[in-house]
Amino acid sequence: MDELTFRRTIYADPNTQDADVIEAAKANPAKQAFWNEVKALDNQIFAATQVKVPDNLADKLLLKQSFEERQEGRNQRPWYIAMAASVAVAAVLTFNVMQPISGNALANDVFAHVDEAYMAKEMMMSNGNVDLEQVNSKMATFNGSVNGDLGEVVSANYCYLDKIKSLHLIIRGENGLINMFVMPEDLTESLQETFNSATMFGTSFLLESAKIIIVGEDGEEVKSVKESAQQTLRFSA
Amino acid sequence: MFSGKKKSTATVSSDMMKKQQRYEALVKALHADVYRYALWLIKDKAIAEDVVQETFLRAWKSLDSLKDEAAAKSWLITILRRENARRFERKQFDLVDIDDVSVADPNDINDVALEHRELRNIMSSLNEEYREPLMLQVIMGFTGDEIAKQLGLNKNTVMTRLFRARNQIKDALKANEEMGVTVNG
Repeated sequence: MDELTFRRTIYADPNTQDADVIEAAKANPAKQAFWNEVKALDNQIFAATQVKVPDNLADKLLLKQSFEERQEGRNQRPWYIAMAASVAVAAVLTFNVMQPISGNALANDVFAHVDEAYMAKEMMMSNGNVDLEQVNSKMATFNGSVNGDLGEVVSANYCYLDKIKSLHLIIRGENGLINMFVMPEDLTESLQETFNSATMFGTSFLLESAKIIIVGEDGEEVKSVKESAQQTLRFSA
Repeated sequence: MFSGKKKSTATVSSDMMKKQQRYEALVKALHADVYRYALWLIKDKAIAEDVVQETFLRAWKSLDSLKDEAAAKSWLITILRRENARRFERKQFDLVDIDDVSVADPNDINDVALEHRELRNIMSSLNEEYREPLMLQVIMGFTGDEIAKQLGLNKNTVMTRLFRARNQIKDALKANEEMGVTVNG
């Protein structure tokens, strides 16, 4: 194998398994030395390619997909669910039961956002620690501010509830995590003052120009966060 | 009349779980390499991250078309290169928005470490036709044949470009040395 072909083959692929190249290197120490030199350069090239990957990129990719999945779920509701829903609506109208149905889109979205896995991802995005300044800068979107102690806020992210931009705060309570959602009052669908799922208690109330929704596993704690929200949050129209 | 779809809800959700697990495994195993490849191709952190997000979103949507996990790498790179090309197609029809005119920030590739600085500068100044096959080989571990397939070139062309890429790096290092540039790392 001539010198030029040997060099070209190794430059093109320093890890080549080409039998002729291996033989040529064995027969000639100078060629072997050249090969080693190129391999060393290639190790440096590899090391130089290993730039820092943004923190939480994997989490973001997983989170984005979970939004997508919910979207897909919405579009792919089977026909019998739609029919069941029509039947339910017809039944409600027929019997004139005017109690609002708790399963409205807003409540469904609220419960979807307090799912354990979902909360874990949100907390990761906030790195599990949010100071008052960060909360206030997000509150400002809703003309709001926190004046006092709201408890230990472990996550503050915008999210969309029933297509409306909201602020989702996660607060560490004594008996678990409490979720607080801040939404513009004038845009939101009505929600009952208290609403529950199988495991969660929720309450919603108006505070000046904002609607606040609080959800947690411990009903008493939800109540106490509600009280501290009423004392510390201020919204101007 | 109610016998339209036989597939029970349980099967549907266990399929969903399987898809979810496959996707998570894919993200965990390959996101770092795919991001690094994107950054070396695009040379802008924010755009590279966007393109990677789009890539994985598309991967999720068409995960069923990936039959063999061993092919996942090339499959993702194919999606990524398509997403990146789309970026330029879009741009052609857009009016120039001053925020979009990205001036490559040398710090994007060269972040904090002084280590590798010289080599990184040289690598990022390689022409794309040399840089791209080199990154597919070095970061993604592709063979000459795989690179040829990915880039739609014949293998000889690919091998020539890889040879030239390293040759240029070597020459640039030598030139720096002669000019007395300090070698860091």
